Amino acid sequence: MSFTFPRSAAGLALLTALAAGCGTAAAAHSPAAAPAMHHSATPDPALPSPSPAMTPHHHHHHHHAHPAAVAPAPPPPPPAAPTMNPIPQGNGGDQDADNNGGPSDGDGSI
Amino acid sequence: MSTLSSHRGRLLLAAILAAVAVAVAVTATAAALAGGPARPGFPALRPAVAPAGWPRATLPGGAAVLAFPPTLQRVISDADAVSAARLGPGGSYQLYLNATPRQGAENLAHWAAFRLRLLRSDDAASARLLTAAGGIRFRGGTGSCVIDSYITRIGGHHFTEIACLVRGRTSASVIVAAAPTARWALARPLLLRAVAAYQVR
Repeated sequence: MSFTFPRSAAGLALLTALAAGCGTAAAAHSPAAAPAMHHSATPDPALPSPSPAMTPHHHHHHHHAHPAAVAPAPPPPPPAAPTMNPIPQGNGGDQDADNNGGPSDGDGSI
Repeated sequence: MSTLSSHRGRLLLAAILAAVAVAVAVTATAAALAGGPARPGFPALRPAVAPAGWPRATLPGGAAVLAFPPTLQRVISDADAVSAARLGPGGSYQLYLNATPRQGAENLAHWAAFRLRLLRSDDAASARLLTAAGGIRFRGGTGSCVIDSYITRIGGHHFTEIACLVRGRTSASVIVAAAPTARWALARPLLLRAVAAYQVR
């Protein structure tokens, strides 16, 4: 049985596909570990702040009370679930843009 | 006869292998030297001094200097960051620039994925990658950039941004330039100019 050209061509095609895959595996892969959350901000009263029109909604971290079980004495309420973002939204936190429906800033949200 | 033919075939395959390996190496080297492999649609970013008359804002830690067009004004930001914006009627954001020191797990190799993940987990109801590139030269450093669009959780505002993580000699920081998606095409040249003028240390 001789080694035919089609087999070589198949090998070439496979190599080309592998090479293309390597070349395009760039920045958009491998999501980084979920960052921890923190924010520190000091609003400067001298600086203009965005429109109140950006501030109407509260959307994060709604914690609903759990109905008490049937028992003579209700158990103490469970601890609040951890939140992803400690900053109150709706202009309640550091008042920068992204807490008010504005564009997101460049913080790492650690 | 069959053995000879098989031997020739293997030689041919080996030659093709070598040629492909060389081609890949040459392409990768050329891309790296040219400032990184830009994805389709990624604009050219060439570091340049800001035009005369553009105000400058230095990060509190001194890690970077953000230059912004005089039609923008400083606005409230995180304590360790600087922001400038042009606000429209009613206080809506028309143009937005922000510089912030690197704070989290972001790195040049995974910047685009990090940024989109952050947007989705923090401020945005949805976020979509438009294009990204690495190895971009900045004044004083090198960066990775992503252009994406997102919709804010609050108010459902549509923004498009270019966000770059830039590493200088002694520090790394993030510059964000954003505009409402409907105005992005108009705002893009000015915002890219501000990004190109971003200086890191």
